[in-house]
Amino acid sequence: MAVRIDPKKDLIVCHIDGEIDINSSPMVKKSFDKLISQKTPKIVINLSKVTYVDSSGLATLVEILKNMRSYGGRMRLACMSPKIKSLFEITKLEKLFEISADEETAISNF
Amino acid sequence: MKKKDIIFQSDSGCIRESSFRILKDLEHYGIGEKTAFEIKLCVEEAVRNAIIHGNKSDPKRQVRLGYWVDGGILNIEIEDEGAGFNHESVKDPTKEENLLRNSGRGDYLIKKLMDKAEYNTKGNKLSMVKKIN
Repeated sequence: MAVRIDPKKDLIVCHIDGEIDINSSPMVKKSFDKLISQKTPKIVINLSKVTYVDSSGLATLVEILKNMRSYGGRMRLACMSPKIKSLFEITKLEKLFEISADEETAISNF
Repeated sequence: MKKKDIIFQSDSGCIRESSFRILKDLEHYGIGEKTAFEIKLCVEEAVRNAIIHGNKSDPKRQVRLGYWVDGGILNIEIEDEGAGFNHESVKDPTKEENLLRNSGRGDYLIKKLMDKAEYNTKGNKLSMVKKIN
């Protein structure tokens, strides 16, 4: 699992590569801790290279969202595969997150 | 496929190993990517629950994984050595007031993605069923 931070004009795009599960979730959270401590106002998480997410991974994304909301930050998820998207639909997390089909739409919708 | 029983120690490393073993044995059944994804997820969630909530991460306690295929149906049993758990007490994670909570989603996904999932009375053994072809 790897997280690549890609600063844009007025937001940050984070590309996650690999599986977000019980083993990698602490690393994902740590990667976002610095952005959150800097009160980054807008983050897009590009999930196009995420092949698997378990309940720990979902909980980690919820945790990042909660932390961002605590200072008024906003986060969007983009480029989910149909398999990952189905988990958000089943768990109703689609109601909690702002989700875009692609990165460009996620950026322009802020 | 005849029934296989595998015993794991309560170590997080066995979570991925458990799904890998099952999917490896299912290779010649030609299951689709979506079904494989759902089996992987449910097995890993169940083994994780058995280790953390059942065996309280005690490395001396074991988790038994049993699985077999009968008539195109995959049967999986996951049993821990814990005192048992009341799975009915798990809050519905899809309710508005629980969406921000960090618990209950693993159990919920198992019940939604498997064709059948039920615990024994004690609450330390989960039996799951999934149609694979």
